[in-house]
Amino acid sequence: MDFIIENFLTILILLPTFGALAVVGHALVWKQEGGLKWITLGFTVLNFLISLFLVADKGAISASGFYFEKNIPWIKAINTNYHVGVDGLSVWLVLLTTFIMPISVLSAWRAIEKRQTAFYVFLLLLESAMIGVFVSLDLLVFYLFFEASLVPMFFLIGIWGGENRIYAAVKFFVYTALGSLLMLVAIIALYYLHFNQTGIGTFDYVTLVNSLKTGTLVFSKETGLLLFGAFALAFAIKVPLFPFHTWLPDAHTEAPTAGSVILAAILLKLGTYGLMRFNLVLFPEASRELAWLFIILAIIGIIYGALVAMVQPDMKRLVAYSSVAHMGFVILGMFSFTETGMQGALYQMLNHGIATGALFLLVGFIYERRHTRAITEFGGLANVMPIYATIFVITTMASIGLPFLNGFVGEFLIMLGMWTSTALDNITYLNWNWNYVATMFAGTGVIFAAVYLLWMVQRVFFGKITNPKNRQLLDLSWREIGLIAPLVFLMVFMGVYPKPFLDVSRESIAAIQERVLHQAGGTIAEVPENSK
Amino acid sequence: MTENNFLSLIIFAPLFGAVINWLFGKKMNSELFSGAVACSMIGVSTVVAFMIAFGIGTPHVGALFAPEGKPVLDQLWTWIQVGNFRADFGLGMDRLSGIYALFVTFVGLLIHIFATGYMHGDKGFYRFFAYLNLFMFSMLTLVLADNFLLMFVGWEGVGLCSYLLIGYYIKRNEARRAAKKAFVMNRIGDWGVLMAMFLIFTLTGSLSFYDKVVDGTQVQSSLNLLSQMTADPFTFGALFAGGLTSAAILLFIGATGKSAQIPLLTWLPDAMAGPTPVSALIHAATMVTAGVYLVVRCNGLFQNAPTAMFIVAIIGAATAIFAATIGLAQNDIKKVLAYSTVSQLGYMFLACGVGAFTAAIFHVMTHAFFKALLFLGSGSVIHGMHHEQDMRRMGNLKKYMPITFATMLTGWLAIAGIIPFAGFFSKDEILYKTFAAEGIGNWATVLWVVGIVTAVLTAVYMTRMMVMTFWGAERFHDELPVLESSTEPSRAEENAYALGDAADAKMPHGDAHALAHQAEDEDDDEEHHHLPRDFKPHESPWTMTVPLIVLAILSTVGGLVGIPYALSSIVGAGDVNVFEHTLEPVIAKVGVKHAPEFSNIKVESSEKAVDENAAHAAEPTEHSAAEISTERLLALLSLALAIGGITIGWFIFQKEPLKQMPKILRDKWRIDEFYNGYIVNPITNLSRTGLWQGFDLGVIDGIVNGIGHSVAALGGVVRQVQVGFVRSYAAFMLFGALIVIGYFIYYGLKLVS
Repeated sequence: MDFIIENFLTILILLPTFGALAVVGHALVWKQEGGLKWITLGFTVLNFLISLFLVADKGAISASGFYFEKNIPWIKAINTNYHVGVDGLSVWLVLLTTFIMPISVLSAWRAIEKRQTAFYVFLLLLESAMIGVFVSLDLLVFYLFFEASLVPMFFLIGIWGGENRIYAAVKFFVYTALGSLLMLVAIIALYYLHFNQTGIGTFDYVTLVNSLKTGTLVFSKETGLLLFGAFALAFAIKVPLFPFHTWLPDAHTEAPTAGSVILAAILLKLGTYGLMRFNLVLFPEASRELAWLFIILAIIGIIYGALVAMVQPDMKRLVAYSSVAHMGFVILGMFSFTETGMQGALYQMLNHGIATGALFLLVGFIYERRHTRAITEFGGLANVMPIYATIFVITTMASIGLPFLNGFVGEFLIMLGMWTSTALDNITYLNWNWNYVATMFAGTGVIFAAVYLLWMVQRVFFGKITNPKNRQLLDLSWREIGLIAPLVFLMVFMGVYPKPFLDVSRESIAAIQERVLHQAGGTIAEVPENSK
Repeated sequence: MTENNFLSLIIFAPLFGAVINWLFGKKMNSELFSGAVACSMIGVSTVVAFMIAFGIGTPHVGALFAPEGKPVLDQLWTWIQVGNFRADFGLGMDRLSGIYALFVTFVGLLIHIFATGYMHGDKGFYRFFAYLNLFMFSMLTLVLADNFLLMFVGWEGVGLCSYLLIGYYIKRNEARRAAKKAFVMNRIGDWGVLMAMFLIFTLTGSLSFYDKVVDGTQVQSSLNLLSQMTADPFTFGALFAGGLTSAAILLFIGATGKSAQIPLLTWLPDAMAGPTPVSALIHAATMVTAGVYLVVRCNGLFQNAPTAMFIVAIIGAATAIFAATIGLAQNDIKKVLAYSTVSQLGYMFLACGVGAFTAAIFHVMTHAFFKALLFLGSGSVIHGMHHEQDMRRMGNLKKYMPITFATMLTGWLAIAGIIPFAGFFSKDEILYKTFAAEGIGNWATVLWVVGIVTAVLTAVYMTRMMVMTFWGAERFHDELPVLESSTEPSRAEENAYALGDAADAKMPHGDAHALAHQAEDEDDDEEHHHLPRDFKPHESPWTMTVPLIVLAILSTVGGLVGIPYALSSIVGAGDVNVFEHTLEPVIAKVGVKHAPEFSNIKVESSEKAVDENAAHAAEPTEHSAAEISTERLLALLSLALAIGGITIGWFIFQKEPLKQMPKILRDKWRIDEFYNGYIVNPITNLSRTGLWQGFDLGVIDGIVNGIGHSVAALGGVVRQVQVGFVRSYAAFMLFGALIVIGYFIYYGLKLVS
């Protein structure tokens, strides 16, 4: 038992990999692909059940605020350690990952027929990599997981995608891989800086943060900005933040449903998680310095994403652009540097994963039936698919941010955070409070969300059936209802009773907020005094 | 602080009904079951609301009589708590929400009963009642919430239910478009409420309506704090100063959306595409008055923001007269009533704007009675006419539908403002208070003139509606005038383009399929069709006429609770204005400091303040003779004008019921066309050609692909490797990436050593 507790996160990471091995083994031994989806489902469900333990019992919390921590040397020559641990920020993202995976496996149940072995292997490897990203506390290990998560997704899009899959896959890969290369440079630079000043080079996140806090590690303002920028670029592409978003609609549209769901629900969160975990904590001064830029880009993303989503003829592309808008809210909350805003940002990450994931699933359902996603092909579907229509409307409402559904709590906290923020206080133009103005602009996103989503709902579901091909459509099967039901349940539960979620992340978020708002980032000029 | 845990029963009973109908309604497939569940749940709400409001069988005194207007509270759970922000799921009934809860539940109950008759035979019977119950849950949450955020839940919830119910006849294009339009326009208003909440939170640090203690934490009432602040000066600069005036205006933006005031008024007439009981319940009696509730609830804030008050009055008056002119020219019986509703809501905001908050609520209540009556009456007419809504094909219905006729007659007299029907007292009070408004100079006179002109117009268009429907020749089989019928559909099309639908029409539709399958859709709900030759209208069943009768009684005597002293003193009665005195504690005495309930520090000073309050409150009862005579004179004038309006209407339309009205009025001042041409279409086009195709695909992807192509050109040497399967291509890329990574690691190591 002790062994399990001690290596809890490692088990979470490795279990899907073992699953992948089992899939390969099964395929080699029995020479047929029939049972593979059951194996995959089994492993992902098991991993989800195990991961629930993370919130049930926090285990021993270390001084650094992480629990289930494990730190063992890996490559001694460069002093890199296999250091993993979770805190209130990452624990929910790990759970989101393990929760979404079985659902995406189920979504591929009938859709994926060719090369099932490879498909399920990639899904399982992807899960390992994503969990690895969220729990790594060593920058190099983090980077390796971050890059590793790219590869399976690249294949998922490139092999099982739609017509333009190769273009989309390459675009996805090149965009994100190029962005993260700069981050690697920054990671190595941090190692080097630490080595120069203390004689010990380190990739360890906790050590680096401590050195920065105590003033053992200092660097000039310019260096801080450069390092911040290198990290931020990698994450901004991943989020994606305007104007780095154009890979997203292509990747989403071409990916198979399972891929779209994982991409929207989890992979995008790698970007926002990275910003919160690394950019804000390692470089608080640069974060404060550049907050205005991120706030502006986030607001542009919110409005731009919504406007472009409004005119999309393809349902999946529409949802993809809506992701740009929703993730803009996450960035906005994060850079408000208020507890409300940052809690809202984390909450919104989960909400987006659930609501947008569900939307992609729902679009996938109809695509499997009609092999088209063009909005004009549909109309009046509510007449033949009432259950589908109902669930679609509920999900839409969650995405729009209707109170008592999860989206509202997140967006409200984010906007309240931005409103009460001090991030834009140094802009004195016109003597206005620009935090207010920023919130007001962001708030229009709430209106636009209603426009584009309801317009789609109206054209797809209401009215008479205009296309005879839709006349015989079957309503959702039990499998489909079963895999969407947990998501719908969470939409309602998280909207009505967000307390348990917010309580778990409170301390970690407060610590990050305290750090980014009040502490020096190791600049030479400033005395690193922890003053409030 | 009084706790009563039964308060939550008022909201949860309808929710329970909605869930039951939703889950089992289809399986049961019984109108009796669905109707009984829905009506009995509203019945529970009604009974509990009356018990708590009047203190029947409760340990505490009724919420309507509680000293100093102290609310009855019911704290359920803490909804959101982050940092110093908190919002509870807590309910509270004070005198204002008590009055609202009473008429919402009672009128709601009557309309539910009516609907069981009206919706008889509809395939989605259970679905309709599930939505209707869900609406009641939202509406009651809105009025009983004890803080802004929970009120906002109800606020958005009623918007959702309105969306679902307007679009109830899902096969009809106008219904689905109207539904979306309603939701989006409401959302624009909701933006204002959201921003106002943020601002109020920054100003006061609380979103609660009442002083209360939750889990040992003291929560202060944001409204009290707001009313104790120093009033903003009367300048338009205050609008943007981020102070009280800004907050008030933001709230009012929300109110214009929910209550269909200029500029967000066009959704309400379109919303008539929903079933008629919905129009009566949501779009006349309850939801659309939520804006008034919000303003009155925050009257302390508004009183401290005179600029905002002025704007509220102007918008209210303008909407009142604007909608009344359109109402003159409509031929659809429900459209007339819809514009009439917009116009009456304008009156309520006019009242708020001149500080007559009590009069506004009084009019909300009487309006709920007579407008629900008129709408249900029109529903009865439509039912009897087999879903014909065009008044040009009615006439002489008094012969066939005597009960409907008699009840609608009282509604007509009530809205026109004939003594002693309900509308007279409330409208007269608004007009008098407008005339007597202080602090806005000659504007008071201007607003009052607008008010009385609207009163005349109201009498005229209502008379037109009554004459066209119930008197004159039977025109059941008349062909509509050619000119008219050819323009109607095209206008409907234009309307439909509102809010982005223009683009919808531009896209290729499966029109050929539509034609091919039209035959199958003949079974459409409420589809217009020609009446059979031997058609005779019929009176409606008792489920429909009984609610009509009850509402007719209320429309007749409902105004008697608020007779002003000036009129009651004529017959020798004293001050019998029960309504106004009930609401007195709700109306904040601005600028007066009074300590919160739980604070013991300022007892001395607060007692003094209370004494002053009492002195203030006592003041209005000492009526000066001059004021009384003015008020009596004005009452006589408005009565004369109402009779005049009815006479004008009678003589014009009795002679010529189908009289052509001016085109600009029939076209509703072309406001939809204006919005589409100057707002909706430009935004859509900008998004499509400018942002998406231009910037996204053109600029950004252009750059990205440009880089890609030049790299590919450079890599021509290694093309051999890249050609072929994705896998090899990807493997190559991965290999390249690994080399780069490896190089950096190597470089890093070298730096270290």
